[in-house]
Amino acid sequence: MVAESIARRSLIKGGLSAAALSVGALAAGSALAGCAPSSKSEEPLQFWQFYAPAPQQTGPLVQQSKWFMDAVDSWNKKNSQQVKPVFIPAYTNPANTRLATAFAANAGPDIFLLSPGDFLRYYNGDALLDLAPYMSQDAIDDFYPEALGTRKVGDGIYGLPMEIEPLALIYNQKSFEKAGLSEADVPKNWEQMLDVGEKLSTNSQAGLVLEVVPGYYQNFTFYPWLWQGKGDVVDPATQRPQLAEAPFQNALDLFGQSIKRGISPRTLPANGDLPVAFKAGYAAMWQSGIWQLAAFKQETPDLPYGIAPLPTPKGGEPRTILGGWAWVVNKHGRNPEAAAKFVVETMGSMSEESIKRVSDWCFGAKSDMSPRKSSEKLMAANGAFEESHMKIFKELILPTGRGEPRFPPVVYKTVSNALQAVQLAGASAASQADTAQQALEAYLANYRGAPLL
Amino acid sequence: MTVQLSRTAGRREVETKRVSLSERKQRRAAFWFLLPDSLGLLIFVAVPMLLAIGLGFFSVDGFGHAEFIGFGNYLRMAADPQFWSSTGVTLLYLVIVVPAIFVVGLGLALLVQQRIPFIGVIRSALFVPYVISLVVIAMVWQFMLTDKVGVLNGFLELFGIHGLSFLGDPQLTLGTVVVITVWFQMGYYMIIFLAGLQDIPGELYEAARIDGASAWQRFRFITLPLLRPTSFFVLITSTIAVVTGGFDLVYVLTNGGPSGATSLLIFYIYQQAFLYGELGYAAAIGSLLIVVLMAWSLLMFKLTKGGRFDND
Repeated sequence: MVAESIARRSLIKGGLSAAALSVGALAAGSALAGCAPSSKSEEPLQFWQFYAPAPQQTGPLVQQSKWFMDAVDSWNKKNSQQVKPVFIPAYTNPANTRLATAFAANAGPDIFLLSPGDFLRYYNGDALLDLAPYMSQDAIDDFYPEALGTRKVGDGIYGLPMEIEPLALIYNQKSFEKAGLSEADVPKNWEQMLDVGEKLSTNSQAGLVLEVVPGYYQNFTFYPWLWQGKGDVVDPATQRPQLAEAPFQNALDLFGQSIKRGISPRTLPANGDLPVAFKAGYAAMWQSGIWQLAAFKQETPDLPYGIAPLPTPKGGEPRTILGGWAWVVNKHGRNPEAAAKFVVETMGSMSEESIKRVSDWCFGAKSDMSPRKSSEKLMAANGAFEESHMKIFKELILPTGRGEPRFPPVVYKTVSNALQAVQLAGASAASQADTAQQALEAYLANYRGAPLL
Repeated sequence: MTVQLSRTAGRREVETKRVSLSERKQRRAAFWFLLPDSLGLLIFVAVPMLLAIGLGFFSVDGFGHAEFIGFGNYLRMAADPQFWSSTGVTLLYLVIVVPAIFVVGLGLALLVQQRIPFIGVIRSALFVPYVISLVVIAMVWQFMLTDKVGVLNGFLELFGIHGLSFLGDPQLTLGTVVVITVWFQMGYYMIIFLAGLQDIPGELYEAARIDGASAWQRFRFITLPLLRPTSFFVLITSTIAVVTGGFDLVYVLTNGGPSGATSLLIFYIYQQAFLYGELGYAAAIGSLLIVVLMAWSLLMFKLTKGGRFDND
């Protein structure tokens, strides 16, 4: 009895201490949050991104930085509410915790760049402002649905895409020549891809490079192979997981087979630098994106390489994924209305200036596809698609594209676990698919938030 | 006589007063010397630690929304296979790295205490990895261990061994991380052991030699027992360093892969906090780790009477 009462007393004491600690933690948290910037509208709006002002004076970043600075200057000249670009180093690196910690401390930037992979975390966290009220219907219709769709919830538009970046198969023409292969041997289906990859594999050269590092990017590169078999992670209509279906298992198996047969390396050649790996003869084929065109131009301008659509499975359809960043506005920032106007006027209005700006970004500052029809027309008029690689992207690859899906972190992790297990640990695709399906069913049963697309 | 006694007593009183005055001065000096460190510890260690423990009782979404859920995060841990898998990886890493650091550190200390030419240079060379950023170390090793064209694979090719993937094969990767960790830490523990070895009186070895003790007997019955306090320090600090460190290495080398083979608990905490926005859950795992490490340290102190291992 005594022991029981003591135990109860210590339990109560413990509970009270925990509660006191928790209250203390929250109080301190609030105090820290108090350090967040005040909401005075006359303060410049902070625009966090990874382009401007450029910390270096060479390479394509200079042009990209200039583009951002010009866009901000143009707004600042006409408006009393100023915008200040803030360069965040390693912004795209998932290890960079600056954005996440800024929001956790209630000190997030007013405007920032967001990838579809992170969209639901910020949308479900009630951090994003609806930009639709600030846009004309013409401007909304001017965006390709593949680019805008994953940034929409209902009629609300929570981000304006600045570019479209499709994935393709990039091949090293010198490696093909050395192996006695020609352009006609560039693979069109999965079997050919593995067979050609085998022929191209040597003691120092990887036949085919597929992403191996676990993370959002690896999943991004995996989805097109899944879609080609008409499969999906989650059915957009029913919001039910589809991981137990054959397309998911087949795509997993493709990644597993490429390692088992010694075609793909377990680590990235040249630490992931594609042009350098091609130049050194470390890789013959590599699944990567349109951004590599600029990298080739910069690093190895004389190296011959080719671009081809991603090979498809038997009975499947050509599909690729369309990546790219979007401009978003912090709903709880200093002056969300002015921030929304800035974003819309710069990236999403029907003014000539806005159309030209998007066009200049995709053709000039970068080599990307345009998320807007009007800007794409302007790019075409300026000869953007006359260059052979850009032409292939525009005519053969882009039409098969689907926007990068937006999934919450748990969904990403479930797919990633299955992919890593089959690809690198030699696990069975069927059992991993079953495990992933069960995990996702359990998670989605209690999921509350915007639909998964 | 009485007068003499009273004089002596008076002198003692004055001396006591002097001593207490100087003691007080010393204490005051000690207080001011310790104050900056204590404040630093309080502000940058104790307060954040308490905040993290408190945060562990909340569901926090990373956007300023928090809900008190009591022990919800701790119950979640019990049913989280990723948590258990990371705990397993951490334990495996721990039971290999700590003894390895101990043996290698002590072995090197025994070697570098010899009087040989350039011993200062050799000691410095062995210590250098410890002062280099772990990120830089990870990147250098990453280049050396690249599949097919890395230096190590090139070397192994000479012996007809090919196709090994030190960073991409789940069966090899944790071992690779262990080797790099030991290589990185060995210099520091070598210095600690060296200091311990130099504290052992030389007469003991001399007497043992006269008594005909072999080198192994001298090591077994003199060096090891007299190194107990140092060994205790090494075991405690290396355990804490291994459990709470290693993030940079794992992040740069493998990002927790391949297939979770190097997903240490500290890396899982980072993923939960910053990739998934589960700050409350991450804080709960961190708090549990603190409790386990504190319990382990207290147990070690208790068992070894503060590292003395004897009754003095």
